Amino acid sequence: MTIQVFFLAFFGGAAVWFGVVVFRTHSMVRSALALLFSQTAIGGMFLVMQAEFLGVLQIMMMATEMSVMAIFMVMFMMDPGGMGAMDMTHQKRLSLWAGAVGFAVALAAVVLGQWGPVALEVPSAEAQIEMLGIELMERSMFIFQSAGLTILTAMVAATMVALAPLKHGGKDDL
Amino acid sequence: MIYELQIALAIGAALFGVGLYGALSQTNLVMIIMGVELILAAALVNLVAFWRYLHPEVIPAQMFVLIIMAVMAVEMAVGFGIAIARFRSRGSVEMEEARELKG
Repeated sequence: MTIQVFFLAFFGGAAVWFGVVVFRTHSMVRSALALLFSQTAIGGMFLVMQAEFLGVLQIMMMATEMSVMAIFMVMFMMDPGGMGAMDMTHQKRLSLWAGAVGFAVALAAVVLGQWGPVALEVPSAEAQIEMLGIELMERSMFIFQSAGLTILTAMVAATMVALAPLKHGGKDDL
Repeated sequence: MIYELQIALAIGAALFGVGLYGALSQTNLVMIIMGVELILAAALVNLVAFWRYLHPEVIPAQMFVLIIMAVMAVEMAVGFGIAIARFRSRGSVEMEEARELKG
């Protein structure tokens, strides 16, 4: 077993384990932290797979995203600390079956699929970033700009949805 | 080498299963968002594994990863916007109490 296989399995196992912890703990803050660790482990997998830029991006992005999520958890949950051990689940059996069947089908595709020859060499990190930059500024520019515009639209829409409604007849009524 | 691809894809499959369970079983909107995040993370793992082990010379594959990351950010922003609106009007983000949204 090469060291790459070991670390791939290690980070992958950590990602799945913390993913399970997200839904097993009663504390919502712990849930958010478990998801942060899971996403960070996925970033570690990217680094093992020699996608350095994507790995660092994943870790940085998810660290901020999950911190925001933890704040929302504390704001909105009835029992954010999990001291009351409230059960906040429904249709558990159906969900378990759906998750298990989804996993089994995907795993069957992984095992039975004919994946063809596997590449041994990967471009260096510098070469990857250079090629990705050129790709973003040339062929994929429209897609990249569309993604940016979509995020901007979502931010504006989310802010508008979240704003308190104006009182009709008051001085704020426009 | 082929085992590394299969290990990565199997991890993606496991993350997908866990995320699907979470998205379907949780009653709280924020927890449902967490399940969807795990499903999208599974897609990320698969994309990077396919790029690394099958077509490392095809850089547009990394572009797809950036798009999925953008989708994750959009999903969170819209989800939390809805959560705030819901909390303002009903005082809760429990989806069991949102039956009036049913079509």
